Amino acid sequence: MIPVSYYLAVGAILFALGLVGFLSRRNLIVMFLSAEMMLQGVALNFVAFSRHHGNLHGQVFTMFVIAVAACEAGIALALFLTLYRRKRSLDVSQWQDLREAGLDETRDTEPLPPQPQEEPLPHLPAAGLEPAHTEERQYV
Amino acid sequence: MTESALNWTVLLPVIAGGLSVWYLLPSPQRRPLAFGLLGGLIAVAGAATFLVRGFGDRVPGTVEAVVFFGFATTAIVFAGLMITNRNPARSALCFAIVVLSTCGLFLLLAAPFLSAATVIIYAGAIIVTFLFVIMLSQQDGPSNANLRSREPALATAAGFILLATLLVGLQRVYDTRPVDRAIEHARELSESAKVPPDFLARTKPMNVDTMGKEPPPLTPRATAFLAEMRSALDQVRVAVPRSESDHRLTEHRLVQDVERAIDGLESNGFRLSDEDDVRSTCRTIADGLARLQDLHRDGPPANDLARSEHGLVHPVDGGPRQLPAANVSALGRTLFTDHLLAIELAGTLLLVATVGAIAIADGFARRKEGHV
Repeated sequence: MIPVSYYLAVGAILFALGLVGFLSRRNLIVMFLSAEMMLQGVALNFVAFSRHHGNLHGQVFTMFVIAVAACEAGIALALFLTLYRRKRSLDVSQWQDLREAGLDETRDTEPLPPQPQEEPLPHLPAAGLEPAHTEERQYV
Repeated sequence: MTESALNWTVLLPVIAGGLSVWYLLPSPQRRPLAFGLLGGLIAVAGAATFLVRGFGDRVPGTVEAVVFFGFATTAIVFAGLMITNRNPARSALCFAIVVLSTCGLFLLLAAPFLSAATVIIYAGAIIVTFLFVIMLSQQDGPSNANLRSREPALATAAGFILLATLLVGLQRVYDTRPVDRAIEHARELSESAKVPPDFLARTKPMNVDTMGKEPPPLTPRATAFLAEMRSALDQVRVAVPRSESDHRLTEHRLVQDVERAIDGLESNGFRLSDEDDVRSTCRTIADGLARLQDLHRDGPPANDLARSEHGLVHPVDGGPRQLPAANVSALGRTLFTDHLLAIELAGTLLLVATVGAIAIADGFARRKEGHV
């Protein structure tokens, strides 16, 4: 039987990775996914202790965690849609006016690299006009 | 605990993982992928080494161990990919894989119902909602919020320092090696034909005034031995459960016996005259510590479960506790007897959340913009 400490270590790693993701990513959806991953780490701990102590209370607690996570997901995604409608972006730093009073606005120091320009789509001539056939004539 | 002050079994995976996550997090300058992946590989290998070596007990070479390490590795690798991926849709898919591997771990932990429920709710419903919102919110093309991170160095440092703390704490509590060593030393002493002379306090010349009042001073080796026994006892004592059963009393008595034996050795001193006494006391200490360590490793024994109010547990007398085989019915009974109020509250919460989500997503915003 795998000892309980192994599961606790895996849960701790999942929790820490989720924490890093929540703190560092700027897309609201990825931040929220990271929070859900922290919950997964916690649920793993609960189930491991449930096995260790031989009763089902840990599993019951995990079910409540799942229920609360589902509520959270519903509310948060609804909020994200509203926010997206306002600013057309999911960048969390667009909402800096919600920060505490007296704090400076954080600005990005490093500029983003220029986005590669997409090639414009080929333009079809208006219908009814014959295109020039210069290329083809050479082969005929 | 390892002997060296720098605990490399913890430090190696934490440092390698932190560096590779910091390296792979989205940033304005494009970094080559290979170094980050190399660091990630080192970190995963280091974490596996920590699990296999760090706790001191041998992992059995069973299918269970293979499956455990497979699921754990998948979960950790895809968790790392999830937080470093630039594309949120791919992040959501990586999260689905993390959830599926966690469900595999749940199955290994004898929780089949939870495993199925998590697959259905997380991987089935929540991830799909996420993907839906991701696609709904990328009508203007992917946003540039994915191309850089907020304070990647500080965030990574915070997360991985927390991880190191957790791992060191786990190792302190669950490492069996110091206790094993203490038991071995106590056994050695109890089985030796003659107690080594540097344990024995020098008996002072007879003096009527001090006889029987002042114990002879302990030798340094004896002091170290007693300290080792005490710290081993402290480590296994943590796990003695505080349930209201006879077992608690048994375990409590065990702890008290060992404590009294150590105290006796200390106050009595290792005197040359009572070598037999020293040997038998050491045997008491070794047996008590070994029994407490078994309790620590396997959890509390199963005897008291026979009269559990649910009446559905099949205990193995004296062995580690077992979960009931009929997982779903046992879970349901626990849920609707012990946690009845909580489940009603959870249902109410779901209802309120549904109403709130609909109101937020549809009603307020549009009414304000004058669409309705």
